[in-house]
Amino acid sequence: MRNSMKIAKWEFMRNIKSKSFLISLVLTPLIFIVFATAPTLLSNWSADGGGDTQVYLNDELGVYEGYGDQLRDEGVLEWDIEMTDASADEMQGQLEDEENAAYVAFNEETLENGTVTYVTGEDVGGDFQNDLRMFEQPIKQLQLDQAGLSDEQMSVVANPIQFEEMQLEEASGEGTASAEGTPAGFFEDPFEGGIPAIFAGVILFSIVLTGMMIFQSASQEKKEKVAEIILSSVTPNELMQGKIIGYFGLGLFQVGIWLTVAIPLAIWRLEDVPVLEYLLVPETLLLVVIAILGYLLFASLFVGLGATLEDASSSGNFQGMVLMLPFIPFILIGPILIDPNGIIAVVASYVPFTAPATLILRLAMLEEWPWMEIFISLAILIASIWIVMKLAGKIFKVGILIYGKNATPQEIIKWLRA
Amino acid sequence: MEKVLSVKGIEKSFKGTRVLTDITFDVHKGEIMAILGPNGAGKSTTIRNIMGIMYPDEGEVIFHGYDGKEIPRHRIGYLPEERGLYKNVKVMDILLYFAELKDYPKAKAKERALSYLKKFGLEGKENASVEELSKGMGQKVQFIGSIIHEPDLLILDEPFSGLDPVSQDVFKHEIRNIANEGTAILLSAHQMNLVEEMSDRLYMMHKGEKVIYGSMDEVKAEYANFKCTIYGRNSVHALETIPQVTRVEQSDMTSILYLEPDVEAGVWLKKLPETLDIQELTIDRISLHEIFIDVATGKSLAEKEGEVYA
Repeated sequence: MRNSMKIAKWEFMRNIKSKSFLISLVLTPLIFIVFATAPTLLSNWSADGGGDTQVYLNDELGVYEGYGDQLRDEGVLEWDIEMTDASADEMQGQLEDEENAAYVAFNEETLENGTVTYVTGEDVGGDFQNDLRMFEQPIKQLQLDQAGLSDEQMSVVANPIQFEEMQLEEASGEGTASAEGTPAGFFEDPFEGGIPAIFAGVILFSIVLTGMMIFQSASQEKKEKVAEIILSSVTPNELMQGKIIGYFGLGLFQVGIWLTVAIPLAIWRLEDVPVLEYLLVPETLLLVVIAILGYLLFASLFVGLGATLEDASSSGNFQGMVLMLPFIPFILIGPILIDPNGIIAVVASYVPFTAPATLILRLAMLEEWPWMEIFISLAILIASIWIVMKLAGKIFKVGILIYGKNATPQEIIKWLRA
Repeated sequence: MEKVLSVKGIEKSFKGTRVLTDITFDVHKGEIMAILGPNGAGKSTTIRNIMGIMYPDEGEVIFHGYDGKEIPRHRIGYLPEERGLYKNVKVMDILLYFAELKDYPKAKAKERALSYLKKFGLEGKENASVEELSKGMGQKVQFIGSIIHEPDLLILDEPFSGLDPVSQDVFKHEIRNIANEGTAILLSAHQMNLVEEMSDRLYMMHKGEKVIYGSMDEVKAEYANFKCTIYGRNSVHALETIPQVTRVEQSDMTSILYLEPDVEAGVWLKKLPETLDIQELTIDRISLHEIFIDVATGKSLAEKEGEVYA
């Protein structure tokens, strides 16, 4: 164990000083922020592109007055209004010359036929028609006024039809509100379960990333041929453990840096949410334990795998497929979100490679935790870690000393049997 | 002499093919013991079995003066045949790491590292990154790494491979110095001239078996017989009838006559029949190199001559 710690320390220090680690430390959150904000930014940008539309309004009905100004003040309507008495025909010529301009007429015809005549010049976006629709309601109102309906009749006509769902247990009157996929099982405030889960998720994500660095490291150890020198001082198991511990520390360091930036940021941005209060709960501890178990599983898998590869860039299909394992839960996010207690979610909690991410996701959404499932899932996870570590140890021991070639799946199976 | 390492009858098979058969030898304090043999003879496999990187099927490896079954890794220095260094680290960092793995005090390690770097002409390189080093410099750093903790036993697998003649000399001297300080050294090599110059004893192996084992003096006394090379047209049969000739090798006009151990060159020359066709004649001693070549090419010179035991 003492030797393992020496190796862990070395791996930690060696990587923390390396430029690529420092770059990824800064770059990963940046990429996240870019991906999270880019779509909104882009759509805003394209909308803003044309600036406000110049609208010549012939409003004989007085629809715009008050209502339109309010929309403009709220920033919903991006129009420059100029009142005019001209008719559509008269405006044609002017609109041809002007870019991003339109003519709209609200008049008697509008009231009688329900048609609004408008003319657009060049460069008027497709959004213009949507903007116009905002006037549908006040025009309708005017029409109804003219029809001479009583207030009561008006309110009936004006109200849209609403569909209301009645919950099962309410209908039957029995309080069997279990965690079986009913909204009653969810947190009222999504942040309450979400914050510990995001916290654990970040840890899981980060240490799985560093777990992939283990793969690189084992493969590099082979390539740089240092393994045999190291193995003259320590046993293969100590070397393997040392690597796993070292990269674990590296992952935690990375998370630590991210969170020291993210938590104050979250507290600042989410003013109404008691971030720390939600974070510092016993549940967080369990979620973190799940994340760490997930790390141990993937780390031992990858350290064994890395020992079979001299050149990571030429890894075969077999190794490539194993490397994809941590990303399977991403495929399952959809189904789990729809039904956190559905068959897919439950099965995924029992499959070791999807269990950590699935559990974290489910526990974030469910207020009432399915403890039985959690225990079974954790038991499976711990058992798999033990098995995978044993197997990885066997592969690592032989693989790390094979030079000049990548191991085939057949060879790996042979080592496992030895 | 005090034994440091004993290898007793180790055997090893891979996939049913026997690669080591009854390998037995000792390494003593302060001596240089060389394992010789052509590629594939089993030198590295023998060493890996000693280092516990592999385990022998049969036989045992004994480290004298250490209790317990564990290999005393902290007291052994090892330079493997397949060796390298982490690329993106400083020279001093990696040397201190190797020392730390051996539980050697850091301050002493630093001092030793600096003095050896200076000795090998790498002064001022301690803060250079490993990837800036040439291959030869890298080899020197690896060598320093294997001796940084003052090992009792130093095992060097092909220490001279890939070195230029100047560096070979530097290494040779340093290995000798370390032996003189009392370290037991086991090295494998195929550069006969180097081994002949520096080794105290040797173990020559071929196809996983012992061919010759003994001290350099004994081996030389036994094998460094005279051989007479004659350029001329002679029949093998005629040459074989010459007294004290053990074996004749002939190709085209050149015949090599291997002589018995106690031949006196001058006396023997007088006995040559006058009928021989002699265009050129040289007489000299068989070198270790030739014994090695004979073994490697499968000629049974050594077997014919018998074996020497230490």
